[in-house]
Amino acid sequence: MHNIWLVARREYLERVRAKSFLIMTILIPLLMGGAIGGVAFMSRNMGSGQHIAVVTDNPQFASDIQTEMSDSKGTNKPTVDIYPLSNPTIFTTLNDQLAAKHATLDGYLIVTPAVTTGQRPTFQWVPKVESDVITRARVADAIRGALTREKLITSGMSTAQVDSLLAPIELNSKGKSDHAGAAVASAYGMFFLMYFVILFYGMNVARSIIEEKTSRIFEVLLATVKPTEMLAGKVIGVGAVGLSQVAIWITLALVAVKYMSASAGFDMHILPNAGQSALFILFFILGYLLYSSIAAALGAMTNSEQELQQMQIFLMLPLIFCSMIIFQVITNPDGTVAKWASFVPFTAPLIMYTRVIVGHPDALAVVASIVILILTISVVLWLASRIYRVGILMYGKKPNLPEILRWLKYS
Amino acid sequence: MPIVELQNIRKVYDTKVAVEGLTLTIEPGTMFGLLGPNGSGKTSSIRMMIGMTVPDSGSVQLFGKPFARNLLHRVGYLPEERGLYKKMKVLDQLIFLGQLHGLDETTARKRSLDWCERMEITEAIDKKTEELSKGMQQKIQFIAALLHEPDLIIMDEPFSGLDPVNAELLMKTLIDLRKEGKAILFSTHRMDQVEKLCDAIAIIFQGKLVLSGGMREVKSRYPRNRVQMQFTGGDAFLQHPGIAEARNFSGMAEIKLTSPEAAQPLLAAAMASGAQISRFEVMEPTLEEIFIETVKGTPEFIAAGGKIHA
Repeated sequence: MHNIWLVARREYLERVRAKSFLIMTILIPLLMGGAIGGVAFMSRNMGSGQHIAVVTDNPQFASDIQTEMSDSKGTNKPTVDIYPLSNPTIFTTLNDQLAAKHATLDGYLIVTPAVTTGQRPTFQWVPKVESDVITRARVADAIRGALTREKLITSGMSTAQVDSLLAPIELNSKGKSDHAGAAVASAYGMFFLMYFVILFYGMNVARSIIEEKTSRIFEVLLATVKPTEMLAGKVIGVGAVGLSQVAIWITLALVAVKYMSASAGFDMHILPNAGQSALFILFFILGYLLYSSIAAALGAMTNSEQELQQMQIFLMLPLIFCSMIIFQVITNPDGTVAKWASFVPFTAPLIMYTRVIVGHPDALAVVASIVILILTISVVLWLASRIYRVGILMYGKKPNLPEILRWLKYS
Repeated sequence: MPIVELQNIRKVYDTKVAVEGLTLTIEPGTMFGLLGPNGSGKTSSIRMMIGMTVPDSGSVQLFGKPFARNLLHRVGYLPEERGLYKKMKVLDQLIFLGQLHGLDETTARKRSLDWCERMEITEAIDKKTEELSKGMQQKIQFIAALLHEPDLIIMDEPFSGLDPVNAELLMKTLIDLRKEGKAILFSTHRMDQVEKLCDAIAIIFQGKLVLSGGMREVKSRYPRNRVQMQFTGGDAFLQHPGIAEARNFSGMAEIKLTSPEAAQPLLAAAMASGAQISRFEVMEPTLEEIFIETVKGTPEFIAAGGKIHA
């Protein structure tokens, strides 16, 4: 135990004292904050300045489209120009506008009246950029709205009645509307945090093992330290570095949120309550230990950074799988996929946590998931130290699978 | 009570036999040479001695007790392939390694400073390992192996890569330690280096022990039939019937005699031939010669094409 502590302390101190730790601690939140802020800024401005033209002989219909295009909040109202169909030069003018470099026109819509009355007119959309699917969808929605409006008016409803009927609907889930968003956010938050920390610090466990192999320091260490002690020390030491960093970030985030919500006057929940916070920490640490142990095994199997790069995919695959199913789990937290995934050790930490936040797993299932995780971590560590012990002494030779299996039997 | 006792140990890696039936004993206060060409099983034997690997059969005893990990606090090991943490400061590194060997931090720090002074590398203490020269790194490694005052010191190729001045310093330190009663195990393929140092030797070849015993006793088993002479003038006397083999490096001849008794007649014949002799020395064979003498009949040696890097 003393040796594990010594190895872990060395790993921790050496890493925390390094300049790169400080840089990462400051830079990552800045970059993340910048990226999130940037995306938020861009999405807020999306749709503003949309500019289309409608070529029609029915001015009422054109103004209906204009109304439909402007969304309910009344901000970022798009510009809609209206031209009569009868104008013979209108298409050349519009095409020139579309082709012009600095033109703001996103496209134009040609409404050709139906030959027989009561039939739908035909619509033709000429976009500036073929791939601008967002504008195209908005135009299509607007046309459908305008048609409905027209039909309702002709069948005798008043404009006010039509407006109230077609007004957008706010859907509130009763009582806990605030927490639903926060729960989903915390599940996603856990996912990204875990993904990043495992990618970075999990691989650091593997890297530090390889570093000791290439610098040959392990020969000196193994003269007093058992491979299991060395490995456990590394997982704990490097792990503690990752946890310290995450702790710093979360503290900063909490302080920032408190400050911001105090000054901006809005209420922000990152974690709904203390019990769930405890579960967050528990599942995060378990998941992290599991993945670090796998990384340690990968480090034990390989002799160079290059070989490790090739193996890295085995570490990332379960996480990528999680990212593929996490949406389904959030929308259906007690469904079959979610149930199974919360008992498979490699997906359990993320999925079970998500289920606890947004779903209703029974307590027994949560405990079972935790027990499975702890068992898997011990088995993986045991296997890793076996591979490490034999592999490190046969340095210079890349093992194949049958050899690794045989090593497990060595004393 | 012997410090190390290996009984008939054997280790097989897959199909390669690394060590086969090795038995040896190291007494306190001796300098023991574990000799043999590259790849003969020296490092494998050492690893079993300190529990890095477990022998397939046979027994290992340290300090008169069956091997146990807590006995390792009394062993200092300098591995053949040196390694230190590149980015770590020298003093921190030494303290860490000392603590792993069971020292507390204060003692480890004090001894590190003392040893750095003794090894003349005080200026390196605050530097990172990667900033140091290779020779300095080697000295640090040497200190790391000795910090916890081990009773058994294992040195795998300790002089490789050291300049003569530093090699001399290391050798002197080791001789001092032997005087204090520590047992020192040298493992090397450079047999000439340990000739003067070792009290006892074991030579292994292809994982098997071919020769062992006290240095004097081993040497006395072989006749004093080597002659080195320096001369000017004709070398016709090298055709003397008492000479089994002779090599003449322009005025400096290495001669192997048919028997020790042929030495005096050879000297007489050389003087009679008119050559000016400035040196004529009858010597015992070197360890290397003894080694080649011993293994040259073995099938492994013939399989290796009669060439051994020794």
